[in-house]
Amino acid sequence: MTDMLLNELEVAPPSVVKQSARDFAAALAETPQFKAFEEATLRLHRDPDAQRAMDAYQSKQQSLQMMLMLNAVGGADKAELQRLHREFVTQPSIAAYARAQADLMAVCQAAADWLSEAIGLNFAAVCGPGCC
Amino acid sequence: MNSSETMLTPYLLTATEALADNPLASEPFAAYHQALARFNSNAEARALLERLSAAQADIRQKQPRNAVTQADLDQLRVFQREVQSNHVIIEYARAQQDAIAYLREINQEIGELLGVDFAALAGRSSC
Repeated sequence: MTDMLLNELEVAPPSVVKQSARDFAAALAETPQFKAFEEATLRLHRDPDAQRAMDAYQSKQQSLQMMLMLNAVGGADKAELQRLHREFVTQPSIAAYARAQADLMAVCQAAADWLSEAIGLNFAAVCGPGCC
Repeated sequence: MNSSETMLTPYLLTATEALADNPLASEPFAAYHQALARFNSNAEARALLERLSAAQADIRQKQPRNAVTQADLDQLRVFQREVQSNHVIIEYARAQQDAIAYLREINQEIGELLGVDFAALAGRSSC
């Protein structure tokens, strides 16, 4: 029954679907938001101060991971973690990266919303990394 | 024009439309929409899923109060077995999984070209 119904439909072959995915990727890559994101990523990777601030914050966060999960971080550690976080987020290249990422996310969400409405499944939810 | 469209450049909107149209005409999606239509038109299958969902919600609500009884669990298992043996529901679930797997392949194709995970960027964190 299913096969008979499917045979009656005009079916797009996988190669056509993949080409439309590649065309979509090319169109997204051409947006000002994607270009700005690429530039911001490059600047961030080339900024030694930002890399140091990021490493210091991530390293402290990892060392406190268990205590953070248990919500049992001591006052001194909490203050140090907050200081490292402030230093991290106020680095100009990191702040620029965060802004560029937010702008790109807005475009991706708009495209994904459009796709989801058309196909009847939430594209980001079913393809994304899922919740914590 | 809706709010999603206003965020998209004409070039990106055209590519998004094509990206929606082609998978919709693909075999996994044709099968999924047929299975969905069969499910929606089958009152027994819908009622079964509603009963299962209500039983699950009831148990979730009782759990914090330690008020779940053996009868609740037995009833839940009965509903689970009924759902698992309903062909319309099973076909629908299988077709949906196939369509999702196909969407993931499409997302992977996009990601390979962009160097970023499109779906991850498009996701709205609910955590």
